Amino acid sequence: MDEWKPNPAVKPHKKRSWYLAWKYKLMNQRALRKLCQTGAVLFLLVTVIVNIKLILDTRRAAYEEEEESAQDYDDEMLHVEVPRHPVSNKKVLDVEVYSSRSKVYVAVDGTTVLEDEAREQGRGIHVIVLNQATGHVMAKRVFDTYSPHEDEAMVLFLNMVARGRILIFTIKDEGSFHLKDTAKNVLKSLGSQVAPFLSWRDMWTFVGKKGGEAYGEKHAKSPALSTWGDPVLLKTEVHLTSVEDAECHWPDTELNRRRKRFCSKVEGYGSVCSCKDPTPIEFNPDPLKDNKVFDVPVAVIAGNRPNYLYRMLRSLLSAQGVNPQMITVFIDGYYEEPMDVVELFGLSGIQHTPISIKNARVSQHYKASLTATFNLFPDAKFAVVLEEDLDISVDFFSFLSQSIHLLEEDESLYCISAWNDQGYEHTAEDPSLLYRVETMPGLGWVLRKSLYKDELEPKWPTPEKLWDWDMWMRMPEQRKGRECIIPDISRSYHFGIVGLNMNGYFHEAYFKKHKFNTVPNVQLKNVESLRKDAYETEIHRLLGEAEVLDHSKNPCEDSFVPDTEGKVYVMFIRMEQEADFTTWTQLAKCLHIWDLDVRGNHKGLWRLFRKKNHFLVVGVPASPYSSKKPSSVTPIYMEPPAKEEGAVAVPAVAAAEQT
Amino acid sequence: MQKINKNVVLALLSLTSLVFLLFQLYYYKFYLSQKNGAVFSKVRGSQSGQDSTRWHVVKKFLGLISSHNIPVYLIDPLILGLVDKDIEQIRSSPGGPSPECKYFCAPRDFTTFALLDKTWKHEMGLFRTAEKMGFQWLKIISKDPRLDGMDDLSGIEIPLHYIFKLASHAIHLVVFYERSGNYLWHGPLRLKQHMDRKFVPFRKLHFGRYPGAYEKPELLLVSIDDLKVQIPKNPSSFLEEMSHSRFLECRYREARAFFQLYPDDASLDAVEFRKKAKSLLHLAALTLNNLGVKFWLSSGTCLGWYRQCNVIPHSKDVDLGIFITDYKADIIPAFQKAGLPLKHKFGKVEDSLELSFQGEDDVKLDIFFFYEEDDHIWNGGTQAKSGKKFKYLFPKFTLCWTEFVELKVHVPCETRQYVEANYGPDWKVPVKRWDWKSSPSNVQYNGVWPVDEWDDVIQIY
Repeated sequence: MDEWKPNPAVKPHKKRSWYLAWKYKLMNQRALRKLCQTGAVLFLLVTVIVNIKLILDTRRAAYEEEEESAQDYDDEMLHVEVPRHPVSNKKVLDVEVYSSRSKVYVAVDGTTVLEDEAREQGRGIHVIVLNQATGHVMAKRVFDTYSPHEDEAMVLFLNMVARGRILIFTIKDEGSFHLKDTAKNVLKSLGSQVAPFLSWRDMWTFVGKKGGEAYGEKHAKSPALSTWGDPVLLKTEVHLTSVEDAECHWPDTELNRRRKRFCSKVEGYGSVCSCKDPTPIEFNPDPLKDNKVFDVPVAVIAGNRPNYLYRMLRSLLSAQGVNPQMITVFIDGYYEEPMDVVELFGLSGIQHTPISIKNARVSQHYKASLTATFNLFPDAKFAVVLEEDLDISVDFFSFLSQSIHLLEEDESLYCISAWNDQGYEHTAEDPSLLYRVETMPGLGWVLRKSLYKDELEPKWPTPEKLWDWDMWMRMPEQRKGRECIIPDISRSYHFGIVGLNMNGYFHEAYFKKHKFNTVPNVQLKNVESLRKDAYETEIHRLLGEAEVLDHSKNPCEDSFVPDTEGKVYVMFIRMEQEADFTTWTQLAKCLHIWDLDVRGNHKGLWRLFRKKNHFLVVGVPASPYSSKKPSSVTPIYMEPPAKEEGAVAVPAVAAAEQT
Repeated sequence: MQKINKNVVLALLSLTSLVFLLFQLYYYKFYLSQKNGAVFSKVRGSQSGQDSTRWHVVKKFLGLISSHNIPVYLIDPLILGLVDKDIEQIRSSPGGPSPECKYFCAPRDFTTFALLDKTWKHEMGLFRTAEKMGFQWLKIISKDPRLDGMDDLSGIEIPLHYIFKLASHAIHLVVFYERSGNYLWHGPLRLKQHMDRKFVPFRKLHFGRYPGAYEKPELLLVSIDDLKVQIPKNPSSFLEEMSHSRFLECRYREARAFFQLYPDDASLDAVEFRKKAKSLLHLAALTLNNLGVKFWLSSGTCLGWYRQCNVIPHSKDVDLGIFITDYKADIIPAFQKAGLPLKHKFGKVEDSLELSFQGEDDVKLDIFFFYEEDDHIWNGGTQAKSGKKFKYLFPKFTLCWTEFVELKVHVPCETRQYVEANYGPDWKVPVKRWDWKSSPSNVQYNGVWPVDEWDDVIQIY
């Protein structure tokens, strides 16, 4: 106790008074006791303080422990939030637009949003649509107004753009040759002063607001026919509006929230973004009774054609019996806009890093998509495979629901396809009729999981092979003599005009006139007769009742088939062996059906309609049905025309018409 | 009087402070020894009214999910443990008011439910309703593992866990996904940077430390504590399954890197062998699962899984491991019945047992039996012509689930050590010439079988 020292924690004035008291009490005989007492009190005090400190310590330790423990659950990867867009807080956008013979570019606030200096590409008027509140690029298009009809497409597009959006125009190379007055007037109405006078090889840039002011325009006239106008560079400022002004005020529902997100990002989808009375994005088609394909996953194979995907998904989601939860859209590449479309419809989308080039890229994308589909739906026995440039018939799922059991039970089947290669307006008639064919049409088809997992996936062509997936699937090593079931009238319609192996001419010649079923709930007839053996019986019955046509006439002439309805006719053509399609190809050519390779055959027999009569073509003597030929009839032989230059290019086109 | 009083007071004070100090020391020690610290539940559990809060939160949650037609089932190990004790009674008496709150009032921080992903349509409406009801919620999303094995597919992230918090209780909703191989999978719970680490004491969650694999459960609708809820039909077997549910994802990224270095054999022979090996493995798994014998991928098959997520095409057989304690005499007849005749049998149950079955077209199924020692595990090998014995040593391991060629199978959780023990540090380099007697880096010569035992321990068919 002698060593006791005043507690430093005790306040000074108290210390002093205590000290005095102590000094005073020392005189007293009770001093020692008092000292002990004070000591005890202090001791107590210290304990209490230590106690409190301990409690606090343990609590803090416990907290730290909690936090540490949560670290077990930390994500290993750092997710750094990237600022969404640098201009979100700015009120003014700096826009730079350049137009010249060989190069165009557009920069918004220093960020290049368009740059095109590729040779022999991108000719015409480039149009960029910006969101007037955020400055985001909402659409980018190029209209080759040097060529006919492109100006109409541009007018259509400009009319679809919502009021208030910022429009940027620039010409690369030439953009006036087929720019008609209608289009010029539309440009004028947007505030362009030069547009009406644009002429051959002029350079032109223009920035304006739809339905509002013009922000800037520059123009350089071409001095002579053989030369171009001088490059022009337009620098201008655009004032941004508030976000509220740039949006429509739809009622706040889940659907409209999706719509709002979509419409604030992209342009060019028409009425889906119209403020008044927008077109629905949910369709609720009638459910199918006893739907056998409700749980079958649907894989939509897509590239970067968002407008196509939009049209395709609309028709798919309108088909009776569709189950949106089973749909997955596989996008080949990290494109934003197709993903936006997928999200607009509330579907799930998966992006795929492109592997390889051209047809092999498509082929690898198919493989990845199919594998992923069966991974995501491990219970599924089948998958429906669709492409982004198809319209889907209203009874697509009804058609599959009625026929899918065949694929499960009949080992001799390779697929069910919604597409009849020979089903044109003038050659298809009966929506309830199905065929068996030796070719694999694709374009909306059902794949059996066991076929994919056991046979196709392990030996799918590797990227360096540069093969087409569909041509590969048609090869005898894969098909092994199995057949596909197809409808007479297709349940899908191929509307794609731009594509890897597609162009306007090709589409017009081979796809435009394809028949497409629009009747709902078609009851298929004789589905059971599609089984392997039953089908033979059916064909023999059909050939038995068929009337043999007059083989002295020209089969290309309309008069070859009598003007009747609902009858069955048969003709015989020369077909020396199984692979001899000389006459068939000529016949297909003059009938204006698919003639680029052989499609739709079953054991040397083709079935189609002419003048509403069922029309059978039998190849003699290769076909087993040759026995049905009366001995008096000589099979028709049609000579191929002498080789032309173009003939060389045909296989290349035919190789991949479906991409 | 005063004097005594003061002395007594002094003594009392000293005593109290001493007791205080001792208590404090004890408390501190107690805390230190129990680092995992149940501090919170101690503080919280003692509060009154907590019991009924838990029940109310569960009731509210069940109301929420039934209003959105979402079928969830109870997987909370604590409650299922309690339920399991009374399972007969609960099964036999559906409905009817219960006198006391026995299960849902039990002290705990969470109640865990499971949700099958394919049974609901990710509607946002659920969360809006939840908020209106006063729930705070947290969603943990992550990459879709079903697309992980694929070259460069990036799907949208999928929800793995939801936590709904109300007052002092929280509901942990684990989302189960169906995967190839006909099993259910749930993901790990990993918080992202911006997430609230203190939303709930995550450490105490029963699910989410690791991903897990489960069989599809049979469900039973029961009424406990006046709440109607679905539970696994057999809670005890579910709890048992839960304790061994840890799942390992194949190392797809490393496998891709491997194939970059050593391109895959795409020849027809390789395709054919893989197909046969896959069907043999499926058949073996079916047979052993029916017998209830636990097995794992061993040797070359395990290396194939670990290194390239696929069957090694030049391996020519399928290798499985089984603990000798799981050995059943029925194994051989069961395989024979499945169409796989016994090719050879080396060793005996007491020592170095090894079975080989003949699959179709020369693909062989080898089953090695593993013997557990104090500090290692080993299996044996026998050379038929000389009767020489070999011993392959492995560090101790436990078993995890994984997915391999569309099959849910076991592999050693400590796969790397296992593979390295067997194949050495250069296991990443493919070796086509492999001698089972000398190539493995863990092989030991283990003497020779006595000649009089040969008939028994070396059987070749």
